Amino acid sequence: MRVATCKLGAWDVTSEGRGMKFSRRDLLVWGAGAAAGLMVTPVPWKVLDDVSIWSQNWSWIPQPGRGPVEVKSSFCTLCPQGCGLRVRMAAGWPVGVAGLKTHPLSQGAMCPLAFGAHQLNWHPQRLKVVRHKADQSTWQAAQAEFANACKEGPVMVIDGYPGRAASSVLESFAQKHGGQYRVVLGAEARSLAPYEAWSGAPVSALGYDVGHANTILSFGAPLLDGWGMPGQFTRLWAERAAGLSDPQLRMIQAESSLSRTAARAWQWVQIREGSEFALASGLARALMEQNLVPAHGPVPFMSIAEAAGRCGISADAITELARVIVAHRPTLVIARDENPAVAALNVVLGNVGVPGGIVRKSKEDRRIHTADRDISNTRALLIDASVPWDFVPRTDAEVFRFAAWDGGSSNADWLLPAPGFLESETDVPSAPASAIESYGIAIKLVKATSDVRSAAEFVANLEPSLVSAEKIIRQRCQDLWQKRAGVVHGQEITPVAKFASAQKLEEELRRGSVWVGEGLPQGGFHCELKEWPADVAAPGAGDWTSEWSVPVLPALASKLHVESNLRERPRRRNA
Amino acid sequence: MSARYGMVIDLDRCTGCGSCMMACAAESNVPALPQASPRTGITPMLVRKVSNGKEGNRRREAFIPIMCMQCEHDTPCVKVCPQQAVEVDKATGIVMQMPQRCLGCRYCMTACPYHARYFNWWDPAWPAGMEKSLNPGVAVRMRGVVEKCNLCHGRLHAAKEKAAADGKREIDPADYVPACVEACPTGAIHFGNFADANDPAAKEARSPEAFRLLARLGTEPKVYYKSKERWVRELAESKSANSSEVQHG
Repeated sequence: MRVATCKLGAWDVTSEGRGMKFSRRDLLVWGAGAAAGLMVTPVPWKVLDDVSIWSQNWSWIPQPGRGPVEVKSSFCTLCPQGCGLRVRMAAGWPVGVAGLKTHPLSQGAMCPLAFGAHQLNWHPQRLKVVRHKADQSTWQAAQAEFANACKEGPVMVIDGYPGRAASSVLESFAQKHGGQYRVVLGAEARSLAPYEAWSGAPVSALGYDVGHANTILSFGAPLLDGWGMPGQFTRLWAERAAGLSDPQLRMIQAESSLSRTAARAWQWVQIREGSEFALASGLARALMEQNLVPAHGPVPFMSIAEAAGRCGISADAITELARVIVAHRPTLVIARDENPAVAALNVVLGNVGVPGGIVRKSKEDRRIHTADRDISNTRALLIDASVPWDFVPRTDAEVFRFAAWDGGSSNADWLLPAPGFLESETDVPSAPASAIESYGIAIKLVKATSDVRSAAEFVANLEPSLVSAEKIIRQRCQDLWQKRAGVVHGQEITPVAKFASAQKLEEELRRGSVWVGEGLPQGGFHCELKEWPADVAAPGAGDWTSEWSVPVLPALASKLHVESNLRERPRRRNA
Repeated sequence: MSARYGMVIDLDRCTGCGSCMMACAAESNVPALPQASPRTGITPMLVRKVSNGKEGNRRREAFIPIMCMQCEHDTPCVKVCPQQAVEVDKATGIVMQMPQRCLGCRYCMTACPYHARYFNWWDPAWPAGMEKSLNPGVAVRMRGVVEKCNLCHGRLHAAKEKAAADGKREIDPADYVPACVEACPTGAIHFGNFADANDPAAKEARSPEAFRLLARLGTEPKVYYKSKERWVRELAESKSANSSEVQHG
């Protein structure tokens, strides 16, 4: 057997009996050829690329799911504003959320938090099981306990999103058991409460007609930062006011600090914190003394000088502001929260029941009662998942609280897992404080990953005679169709009268279209102000998440307040 | 026909809400990691607050969204990348970042005059199950590579696929809208093809109120800003335009 032999400078290789000499020169030529070949062959670069790709795609790195992609129209039901949504779904899961441009009110805009809403269902604080105090329990145990409580004494049901079909179920249940139905309203709706007291029209039927106003005087309302339906005012402001020195829409912000709204306002009036009552009174007095409004109604007891002192601005500034707000009418005054003096300023300006003022959007005449935090003489308290987590009642009653996410410190005896984002069907009534009546249906788009139930389903199980939310939605569609009023905004704008049947109308609404009413003729609605309101302690300003009723924020919200300095850290939220 | 995609951002319309930041992060599959900070987090679209430096009623504030400016001339990040992981796409004008080639040296981050590049300090991670909510049009990037805005290139691909399926060579402009543009509630961000002189965004870029940040560097960014307020326009040449809150007297 022959073997290869190696010598210094030459390499004798034998193969099958034939000799081949590989010289030192050959080695050098081979080396040079290989080096030159490497320069032109793509192989090493391709290998380098592939190694990079392999090393960046380890099995433990999460990868997006694969599957058919489709786009669905729906509504955001995380707060009562009900903005239109365009949800991109892949393999049956939502993978992106954007505003729905065909929605006539939200016009494709949403609050920043909604862009991460599709990730909320997997939030680590998602409530997946029934909890009784600190222990895990079952739906059967919760239901049995609630049924016992209903037999032993009165119950109270608290709702944070009134007007839905589910709300009707909850209200009917409370009435059948001799209990009470109460609601927790957001700041915009609360700011309309004085008009309810002075006119008799319920808050749910009232709205701010911002679309027809030429001047808006805001007393700290975050008009450009989450007030109302985000798209409704911001779009209007962008088209009629942004950057213009003499805008069609003059937005004046009276606030103690330079908020986002104040920063972009036509005029920022810096007043002392908590002096909104004084400014409203001083302005009303100035309007009357300068004969800028017809002399009617009660005169504020506070003089302009006194008001100026409390606001930290000059009396001349108040008088000048009074002239400015009537120079470009209609002028709409908006309070941040319930503030009777600010509401009274609208009455003084004659801005009630007129376009560009406080208007009545529907014939709804049933007043709803708001919930107090102190609740007594009640055996059991059932809190719907729509109630803001910050609402923690002080009560001896046994508390059954529905929630999709556990925000902690709820003091509830029972925590019951509710459907999360787009995990249940619900109807979407008119947005609070909007001047336009609307109705939509948000269908169930996402399958729940745990055993969740809504409060309406829970009480319907106990009381089978209750009409289900689904039937109520069907009935509401039937009512809309029979009235033959309004139009439906979908891919096209279709008058209700053109729908062949109520079923066709319902099908269209279930596709994410929205019904919009024609509005009521104004004039029949007015407020009677017998005396100038007394000063009341106005609630303090919330932070930028205060109208977000969900106890947790989407994980991506950390981009706004942790990974950048754009926004301050929310006070009470679990990001 | 090659395009030159860019943006004009009307700062008078920007309210600093942050919708563009949220939409960008969701679209790009950027994770929200608890250990991230303003220095280490990934925010390809970052809105900064600026002020005129005055106090009381004379104080004015504005918000400036900062992202990759898509520099066209002597693109600083392209020039310094030793891996050819950054290049200006001649067909679109978009400055492309190829994470597969990036070795994480971060020269590009240092070179970028706008501080619009971010480094992946950690493996991307989401709470259990949340990976189902990731955008299938964008791959998840690994630890150790640099990230930036690529004008939602995944959406451009989707628009091209749709055009090809319809038998067209050119995309419908309505099919290619970056996430931040779509999300802006005031319509402050106008996106378009600057190669087309009749494009509305291109027309806006030529308006007297339009300006570019650090234009003196000559990198020809394709992101323009617009404001009627002089103090805001003057900020464009500020040497401190990247601080979190810029004051300008």
